[in-house]
Amino acid sequence: MRVPFTWLKSYVPELESPQVLEERLAGLGFETDRMERIFQIPSGVVYARVLEAHPIPGTSLKRLVLDAGKVVEVVSGAGNARAGIGVALALPGTEVNGLKIGERTIQGVVSHGMALSPKELGVGEYGGGLLEFPPDALPPGTPLAEAWPEEEVLDIEVTPNRPDALGILGLAFDLHALGYSLILPEVRLETGKVPLPFGLRVEDPRGAPHFTLSYAFGLQVGPSPIWLQRVLFACGMRPISNVVDITNYVMLERAQPMHAFDLRFVGEGILVRRAKPGEKLVTLDGVERELHLEDLVIAGYRGEESFPIGLAGVMGGAESEVREDTEAIALEVAQFDPVSIRKTARRHGLRTEASYRFERGVDPVGQVPAAQRALSLLQALAGARVAERVLEEGTPREPKPIPFRPQYANQLLGTQYPEKVQLGILRRLGCRVEGEGLYRVTPPSRRLDLELEEDLVEEIARIQGYESIPLDLPAFFPAPDNRGVERPYQRERRLRELLSGLGFQEVYTYSFMDPEEASLFRLPPPPWRLKNPLSPEKAALRTHLFPGLLRLLKENLALDRPERALLFEVGRVFGKEGAWVREETHLAGLLFGEGLGLPHGEKLSGYPLLKGLLEAFLNRLGLDLRVEAHPYPFLHPGVSGRVWVEGEEKGFLGQVHPEILKALELPPVHIFELHLPLPEKPLRFQDPSRYPLALRDLAVVVPEATPYGEVKALLRQAAGPYLESLQIFDLYQGPPLREGEKSLAFHLRFRHPERTLKDEEVEEAMARLLTALRSRGWDIRG
Amino acid sequence: MRELEQEALAAIREARDLEALKTLKARYLGKRGLLTQEMKALASLPLEERKAKGQALNALKEAIERALEEREKALVEEELRRALERERQDVSLPGVEVFIGGLHPITLMERELVEIFRSLGYQAVEGPEVESEFFNFDALNIPEHHPARDMWDTFWLEGEEHSLPGPLGEEARGRLLLRTHTSPMQVRYMVAHTPPFRIVVPGRVFRFEQTDATHEAVFHQLEGLVVGKGITMAHLKGAIYELAQALYGPESRVRFQPVYFPFVEPGAQFAIWWPEGRKWLELGGAGMVHPKVFQAVNEYRKSRGLPPAYQGVTGFAFGLGIERLAMLRYNIPDIRYFFGGRLKFLEQFRGIL
Repeated sequence: MRVPFTWLKSYVPELESPQVLEERLAGLGFETDRMERIFQIPSGVVYARVLEAHPIPGTSLKRLVLDAGKVVEVVSGAGNARAGIGVALALPGTEVNGLKIGERTIQGVVSHGMALSPKELGVGEYGGGLLEFPPDALPPGTPLAEAWPEEEVLDIEVTPNRPDALGILGLAFDLHALGYSLILPEVRLETGKVPLPFGLRVEDPRGAPHFTLSYAFGLQVGPSPIWLQRVLFACGMRPISNVVDITNYVMLERAQPMHAFDLRFVGEGILVRRAKPGEKLVTLDGVERELHLEDLVIAGYRGEESFPIGLAGVMGGAESEVREDTEAIALEVAQFDPVSIRKTARRHGLRTEASYRFERGVDPVGQVPAAQRALSLLQALAGARVAERVLEEGTPREPKPIPFRPQYANQLLGTQYPEKVQLGILRRLGCRVEGEGLYRVTPPSRRLDLELEEDLVEEIARIQGYESIPLDLPAFFPAPDNRGVERPYQRERRLRELLSGLGFQEVYTYSFMDPEEASLFRLPPPPWRLKNPLSPEKAALRTHLFPGLLRLLKENLALDRPERALLFEVGRVFGKEGAWVREETHLAGLLFGEGLGLPHGEKLSGYPLLKGLLEAFLNRLGLDLRVEAHPYPFLHPGVSGRVWVEGEEKGFLGQVHPEILKALELPPVHIFELHLPLPEKPLRFQDPSRYPLALRDLAVVVPEATPYGEVKALLRQAAGPYLESLQIFDLYQGPPLREGEKSLAFHLRFRHPERTLKDEEVEEAMARLLTALRSRGWDIRG
Repeated sequence: MRELEQEALAAIREARDLEALKTLKARYLGKRGLLTQEMKALASLPLEERKAKGQALNALKEAIERALEEREKALVEEELRRALERERQDVSLPGVEVFIGGLHPITLMERELVEIFRSLGYQAVEGPEVESEFFNFDALNIPEHHPARDMWDTFWLEGEEHSLPGPLGEEARGRLLLRTHTSPMQVRYMVAHTPPFRIVVPGRVFRFEQTDATHEAVFHQLEGLVVGKGITMAHLKGAIYELAQALYGPESRVRFQPVYFPFVEPGAQFAIWWPEGRKWLELGGAGMVHPKVFQAVNEYRKSRGLPPAYQGVTGFAFGLGIERLAMLRYNIPDIRYFFGGRLKFLEQFRGIL
């Protein structure tokens, strides 16, 4: 919200400076996003009254004769340039907004200066017409800056809990609580006993719990005085006319939006109801809107018939808008159901100053005072006569007292604020404090956010200043059920550290995937899509990590042409089981390019290297790895393995399918992806045997297609309890073996834990191996 | 004899290798060596002469032996020297290029933060990234249609109602979203555990937001939650103070200002004075756990047949963005680098152990 310093200072006269204000507001919970110095109106811009306006034939321009202390003639193209209005006139030689004004001849007419639009004067965005003032706003020729001084505006953030601070008075009340004195605007209103020419029916009291309608007539609609226009411009609004400006001004002052309907368009009165099927309304912005059955509307009625004239709390209708010839208005000041307003505003994509405030909530008893404030200004600035009677529907909800213990405040804050200080703060904030010990504190009605004792505690701390709360550390033993809860996290972290130690570079990729790309990666369509993705390529949640790694590799290759890469990511993926989300943590690794070796020599790479690294990783965790051939659609059918860790199926390892590589224009890449957590094996310490080893070698001849894993498993199983280790050291094909055969040679180490093995025992084991091999139809090499 | 001596010593001096030396040894001192034969011949000489010649021959023998020994030593040394020379390598050539790994800078920053809080007795736990509306919003006192919801631009999953595991593994139904903050873990953790405790929750969070140099739709937060009897806002300030001191040393300070988050009361935003950069860093939000959050937790526990464990306790919570700190810590100019995946960026953080 934009806070003009001088306006706020008019209610809080002791305010030192905009800088001090910024600091005070920060301490109160209102952060300043930006401070802006505006309205540097040069001395060569003067107030002038338009005496005559003559069209220049053949053009849309006008020749204006102005009283600017002296008579001046200028040319203007503005549509609203006309006799009788006051304008801002830049005299020749003045520089406004970077534009140097000179005497110019336009269409054969000499222009001795320039009548300015708000944009040209640099006070607002509007450039579609002249800035218009009342004809007697200032003595002609007066430098405009005298009545329109500089301003400093703080653009502050008002959090949703403080709708009261969406009015400048709300901030003034907060500053008052800090110790500043406060001057509230005086409301002087003369009313007459006049019969009301309209009625009021609220058909939907839930939508409009409190609704008031006042009558003002005899209005003279025209431009607002300079001070009022200045405030509106400073707040970022465009002045329209005195009547509209006053409703906006009071809204900015009290956070209470209101609307004036031209009485000519309300019929016999106003009806507040939900929209009917097929109803339409042209709103003030000129847009015809189809109303929704849940939209709360302000309707005019004639007998049984009614017709919408405003979208309640959001925007008025175009037809009933106050215009130049409006003489009488019905002034609506109401409280609406925040949720209903929010839904309507969203539905119509209309976020107005009014809806913004209503959906956050307005002071439930603030309607009548706000109406009176607006009526008194209408009386003073637009010559209005005001009827004494006000139509009112619904009863405002009075705030409820909150039990409050100063001791609890200190307990929650860790402070020792004296009771007297605390109660003083609450009183200065406008609370009524009753009772003793256990107090009953009734907050002012504008403070919708104060409901609980804790809310009051925050008020104490806020006004005392958070800096007055000391620093402390709590000491306690956690409840037993919290012990060890960090284990999964710490374990995962160690996995990352371990992988990075083995040479893997960690990367992060987005949790999204392109649903259209699932088929490219030969994956089923992702089960979870976003309702509101940032872009179509990020429209689904990933089911695997490897597509992200491949994409990342591709981008790196395009940019930096690395010769090799070894990457990993630990991240969440999202599967589906029935209606359930199955969120899992995966660990994926990728190996690409030149492998391990001398830069000037041969390299080890590809599948064996990645598998070796995976083995090292798992072995370091004390875990056993087994990979068996299994076709995964996204892997090369010949290099595709299922990974078992300690007998649990954990994922896959292999070469990326050539089709995928082709589509992504990638060279061969090997990947693995496991789901975490990995099994944890309890440590079982074994005293290493000190007895001598018995070493044997064994070469097994098997058919070519027999996997190593099968041979190894058989040997392990058949060798008996004393086989300490088994290691392949040769893999051979060719003569003298027959075609279609291969030989796998193993080193075997036998050892007994408690004594020296006898030769016969080892030979026995070897014999068992041989029998087992032969029973499978395999043999040994002689 | 003089001649023999000169010839022998010269030959030994000039022997080219151990083999030659061996031959020379045989020639002079061998069974049939020249000197040996002279010795044998002594027996035939008269006593006087034998004595004199014997002494001379012995002296000669010793001289030859000494010479042989010296030469042998020199030759062995020479041989070794040559062998070593033959094995000389260009030590300046590079070694086998093993892969050099590294951790992502967010992992590193997260680890640093978690370690700081671990030293204060906090434990790190994690929660799901796909969350239900209930845990992300409602239970945190952010009801539907409340303007406070606007504070979190949310990615919603398609479909009206789905299930996911609740804090106790039970089925939790509702509209699903990508969690907008790590705060739902406050509720999940409290439902499943009893106070007192101290936890931090690091994790990935999501905001429906266009990205630029300082905004990412996906980023990381660290949430803290301490609940127990007599936990105060002073404790919250103390925790953040410890964080500041650990991050930026003894000159660092903390600043707290009121702010609104629906799930804390009083609520605060906090900044840390960064001595090196000489400025306040707005790091995150914090506050005392809102009674309505405790109430929601107790009600949830009750619905699962658990006793209400959150009556008569207070707690504080805080949350901060990890990217922001990492950017400052490592001088990273653009938040998009973290998910940019460029290895030339990531590899620069190897020096951090």
